[in-house]
Amino acid sequence: MAQAGMGSTQQYNYEIIRKFAFMALVWGVLGMGAGVYIASELAWPFLNFDIPQITFGRLRPVHTTLVIFGFGGSALFATSYYIVQRTCQTRLYSDWMANFTFWGWQSAIALGVVGYMMGYTQSREYAEFEWPVDLIILVTWVVYFTVYVQTLRRRSQPHIYVANWFFIAFLLVIALLHIFNNLAVPVGLFSIKSYSLFSGVQDAMTQWWYGHNAVGFFLTAAFLGMMYYFVPKQAGRPVYSYRLSIVHFWALSFLYMWVGAHHLHWTALPDWTSTLAATFSIMLLLPSWGGMINGIMTLSGAWDRLRTDPIMLFLITALSFYGMSTFEGPLMSLKSVNALSHYTDWTVGHVHSGALGWVAMVTFGSFYHMIPRLYDTRLYSTRLVYAHFWLATIGIVLYITSMWVAGIFQGLMLRSFDDYGNLAYTFVETVAFLHSPYMVRAIGGMFFLTGILVMCWNVYMTIRNARAEAAALEAKLAAKMARI
Amino acid sequence: MSDAKKPQSAVQTTGHAWDGDIQEFNNPLPNWWLWSFYATVVFAVVYWIFYPAWPVGGGYTTGIMNDITFVDSDGTEKTSHWNTRALLLKEMQEGKSATLSREYLEKVKDADYQTILGDAEMMAFTRSMAVGLFGDNCMPCHGAGGAGVIGLFPNLADDDWLWGGTVEDIEATITNGRYGFMPSFRETFDEQQLDDVASYVLSLSGHEVDDAAAARGKDIFQTQTGGCYYCHGTDGKGLKSQGSANLTDQIWTIADVPGAATLEDKKSLVRQVVVNGVQRTMPAWKDRLDETQIKLLTVYVHELGGGQ
Repeated sequence: MAQAGMGSTQQYNYEIIRKFAFMALVWGVLGMGAGVYIASELAWPFLNFDIPQITFGRLRPVHTTLVIFGFGGSALFATSYYIVQRTCQTRLYSDWMANFTFWGWQSAIALGVVGYMMGYTQSREYAEFEWPVDLIILVTWVVYFTVYVQTLRRRSQPHIYVANWFFIAFLLVIALLHIFNNLAVPVGLFSIKSYSLFSGVQDAMTQWWYGHNAVGFFLTAAFLGMMYYFVPKQAGRPVYSYRLSIVHFWALSFLYMWVGAHHLHWTALPDWTSTLAATFSIMLLLPSWGGMINGIMTLSGAWDRLRTDPIMLFLITALSFYGMSTFEGPLMSLKSVNALSHYTDWTVGHVHSGALGWVAMVTFGSFYHMIPRLYDTRLYSTRLVYAHFWLATIGIVLYITSMWVAGIFQGLMLRSFDDYGNLAYTFVETVAFLHSPYMVRAIGGMFFLTGILVMCWNVYMTIRNARAEAAALEAKLAAKMARI
Repeated sequence: MSDAKKPQSAVQTTGHAWDGDIQEFNNPLPNWWLWSFYATVVFAVVYWIFYPAWPVGGGYTTGIMNDITFVDSDGTEKTSHWNTRALLLKEMQEGKSATLSREYLEKVKDADYQTILGDAEMMAFTRSMAVGLFGDNCMPCHGAGGAGVIGLFPNLADDDWLWGGTVEDIEATITNGRYGFMPSFRETFDEQQLDDVASYVLSLSGHEVDDAAAARGKDIFQTQTGGCYYCHGTDGKGLKSQGSANLTDQIWTIADVPGAATLEDKKSLVRQVVVNGVQRTMPAWKDRLDETQIKLLTVYVHELGGGQ
């Protein structure tokens, strides 16, 4: 099969990918910056400055929305458009529709976060967008789905590559989740405020069915799609096992749907629902690991690549963090462990070992591979990729360990009794304890943020060099033409 | 390692190639992976057998051999399959800490204040439980050690009591709350009068002030002109019934007089209080805490400030 060479800018629509990749980095810096700021607010509360718009409560959804949907979402649009075109050897179905998804998605993010700062929120975690923005997302998603599936249908390959299965699952499930979790009645036709169609524990159940499947299909399945393209591509080796990819894909898709209720252990939720969520979470462990095994074993026999290729280092470290957090997740979903971990920072640490360790690291690795190819050039600096890798890794380690300390110790303090059978600690004493781990966490976040800033510089220089090379080439060509 | 020794080299790829060079080996599922997966399925099935798990019809499978006997909130003894609500009730009834705490609580509930104050063990229990009650309810205003915030919330850890420091007084304060009020004299006094009153007030607590000003101030304080003595008393020692401050001691709850460097600064602080008046509210706790909890807090607060 001929490799797409110089003509690839015509053969494929790279312009849309460049735009999404650019916005992924913009939202990434803003979102991680917001994260560092709110982490600092928790450690040093004066940073709230009594300004409502920047208090923790309003900036927190700004942070989560920017990193998950702004950074992660734009990265998924970029890589899925890249992967579907390259593995189908065909151009995107429609340029204007792809452009529509760009403007739809970016406007939804921008409107959403400005709204949160002004106080407009549905108060549903990771679905805080109020109904007008939900509608923009819905339309955008339908168009995205259409572009993607139609492109697949126009493939010049008989088989659909595994990465695309994961993206299709992601497209379908996110549509389903988004629609049902956001069923709400606006207060008035011209009111931005709305109220959920569900109430009580059913509302909570719907929210966490959404919330955990957003983790499952947005942050796991779709990024596995990314992994399935960039790991074998960067390694230059075949994927370890086709069979494993089929089995773990279907097992993952089937099992994930059941586990959302593990966010609601020990609440008004019926016990049988809790049991199902916990047991399905345990059964999800190995299917989750299937992706890790397939990715890491792809490198089997070429481990020396890790010594010379920082991009591979990013991808394999991402898979390691993926394996770690998908082990931690089922553990925390057991009712007895959850009784300790729930409502503490252990949960926050767990989410970040997935979000920073897996989602962000696999995105960084993929971008370092993809961006030079989008501009038909080489990366500006490999040393800066190493610098980014270490900054990010140190940041994650500081983040996770401090949150383990914060969460586990606060959990233990909240359940310890004194000699008279009374609670040994008041709530505020447990909060006072959190101060030191919170400082460490904020510092970890600063490391991670510095890492992505280094990346932005590297990408900027790469693109600048590409432009200069292209201009030089054109000048040479023009001179040649003039001689003739 | 040469290619020939690689374990994968014997395995065929699926024969497809995407994007030029992406291929897939067709390695079998790793055995450890497969058997671990089966193990998690067995774990789940066993779990389902012993605990409530699957919705069936209008009900659900309750699990076997998992009965819990407990006393329900209406006092009747019930036996039910395992469920988290029954588990909590049973724990609250029979758990080691819950039982211990309840036994002490019964003793304290039936004892009068003098008995509690004189019994070392009951006092130890009171401190243990009340520190939590204080932390969850009182601390936001009065601070962890009861030191309060000057200008806003009274210090409970000193021996000065605005509303009385006997256990009866403290119990009444917690139960019904308090409204501390001093009118504003902004419209009543001119600059000169404000200065004179402030001088007199400072002289009550032994500050060296201008005698003439203090004398003029006394005239305002002790007569209908200011009427300050209505609440603070002719001796300036305050009235418990009004919650009015004792002006003759060194304890200040609104104006931070001991913290001010010069006499002029001290005077200016006292003037501010006279000009602005005071409005401080402590909410009533009788609807939020039960009688025994209030009793525990009363003893705790009484001990914080040394009591009366």
